[in-house]
Amino acid sequence: MHRAVDRRARQRGARAVLAHVLSMLALVATVLVGSLAHAQVADFDVRSTLFLEPSPDSDMTVFTPSASVSVTPWDFLTLDAGWEADIVSGATEAVKAGSVQPNPDIVTTASITDFRNVVSGGFTIRREQTTFSAAYSWGDESDYRSQAITISAGADFFQRNTQLVLSYSHAFDEVCNAGYADSLSPTLRQPLDSSTDCFKNVDNRRVDDVDQDNFQGAWTQAWSPVFTTQVVLTGSIQNGFLGNPYRAVVIGPTGETAQENHPNDRGRAAGAVRARLYVKPIKTAFGVGGRIYRDTWDLTSGTAEVEAERYMLEWLRLRIRGRYYQQSETLFWSDDYTGGEPDFGPRGQYWTGDRELSPLSSISLGGRVMASWRGAKGDRIAGMFLEFQAGGGFDFVVTNLEEFTWAGRTPNDTTALVTQLNVTALF
Amino acid sequence: MASRLRVLLLVGATLPMAVGCVTVRPEERAILADPVMQFDGDPREAAATQHVIENREGSYGGRTVRGGGCGCN
Repeated sequence: MHRAVDRRARQRGARAVLAHVLSMLALVATVLVGSLAHAQVADFDVRSTLFLEPSPDSDMTVFTPSASVSVTPWDFLTLDAGWEADIVSGATEAVKAGSVQPNPDIVTTASITDFRNVVSGGFTIRREQTTFSAAYSWGDESDYRSQAITISAGADFFQRNTQLVLSYSHAFDEVCNAGYADSLSPTLRQPLDSSTDCFKNVDNRRVDDVDQDNFQGAWTQAWSPVFTTQVVLTGSIQNGFLGNPYRAVVIGPTGETAQENHPNDRGRAAGAVRARLYVKPIKTAFGVGGRIYRDTWDLTSGTAEVEAERYMLEWLRLRIRGRYYQQSETLFWSDDYTGGEPDFGPRGQYWTGDRELSPLSSISLGGRVMASWRGAKGDRIAGMFLEFQAGGGFDFVVTNLEEFTWAGRTPNDTTALVTQLNVTALF
Repeated sequence: MASRLRVLLLVGATLPMAVGCVTVRPEERAILADPVMQFDGDPREAAATQHVIENREGSYGGRTVRGGGCGCN
C-alpha cells in the first residue's frame, strides 16, 4: 500500500516537473522563435484584476495579476504563453450551520490566504478558411494542482459570413484532502484543517482526483453589414472530489459535523444566444444575450445580458454592460440538515455548505473604457509600438441569497466590486 | 414525438440553406470588423471576469466565443 502511495507520489512529482519544464520551454520558445523569425507582430499584455467583497465578518480580496505574450512569426502561426496568479485573502464559512443549530463560530475560524500560479502555452495555426489551436496550462497552489489541455478547430463558410468553432478541453486536477480511508462513512469524515503537508506522503493527508471534460460548439453568423449573432452550446462532465475539503456541515441535531459531501459525478449543459446590432444614427453597437443552464444535480439557471459600446473619441471607446442571473438550488441543497430531512433520498445522502448550490440571483452593472493608439502606416508609436492599448473597467455585483444563512443569520458579504486594468502593446 | 422530430429535421435541413443565402460582401464588413462589433473582443478581459463570476455561481459554460465581426481571423 505504502509502495503504491510512494509510486503515485513519485509519478505526481515527475508530472509536475515535466509540466514546469514544458511550460518554461513554451515560454522560451515563444520569445525565441518570435525574435528569430523577425515576428510580424508580437503582442505583450499585462493586466490585473481586483475582486473586493467587503464584509464585517467575511471580507474577501482576490488580486489576480497576469502577463501574456503572443507572437506571429509567420502569417499562419501564432504562439502564446502566459502567467497568471491568484492572491486570495479573507474568510469563508468553515462550518455551515442552519437556523436550527446556531454555530457562532462559523466565520471566525475560517481565515484563508492562498496563492495560485498558472502558466500556459499554446499555438494557433491558420489557413485561408480554417484555424486549429492547442493550449496547455498548469496551475499550482498549496492544496490544489491543475493541468488542462485544450484543442479547438474552426472554419469559415459562405464567404466568411458563417463561422463554426468546435473545442474540447480536458482538465486533470488533484485536490489535497484529509487522510481518511475510503471505507470511512461520509458522516464520520472530518474536513481538512490546513494545507500543511499537502501533496506529501503522510498519513493525515490524501490526494483526490478531479477530472473534467468540456465540449463546446459555437456558430457565429453575419446576417447583414450591421447585425451578427452567435449560438454557443457547452457540455461538461466532472468526476472526482467535487466539494470543498475544508468545509464542514452540521448534520446532526446535537451539532455533529461532517465534511461537505457532494456526489462524485456532475454532467452540465449550457446554451447561449447572443446578438449584436450597430445603430448607425447614434454610432453605437448594442448587444443582448441569453443563456440557459442545467446539470445533473438539478441546478438550473438563466442569464440575461445587455451591453452598449461606442467610440467617444477616435481613440477612446466606452462600454457599459448589465447582467441578471438567477439559479435554482441543487436537488440535495438545504440550509439546515438537522431539521427533519428524510432518512433516505438526496438530502440524506449528500450535504453541502456551498452557497453556489443554493437558490440565488445576482445583478451586475459595469463599464469599461479602452484607449487605443495605432501608428500611422509604416510608422511606430515612440519608434516601438505598432499599437498601444490601455484599459480599465469595473463591475458592481449584488447577490441575493434566497435561502443560504450563517446559522440563521443573513450573510453580509453579498456585494462585490471587480476592477480591471490592462496595458497591451503590439510590436 | 415523431412530429417534433420531423420539425427538427426540417429546421436542421433548411437553416444551412438559409444561412447560405446570406451574403455580406467583403466591402460591407467595415462595421462588422470593428472591435465594438466583436463577440469577446477582448478574450483576456472576458476570461478574467468569467473567472470571478464562475466562483460565485453554480453554473458553467456557454460563455462568449471570439469571432463574429469580420470573419477574417
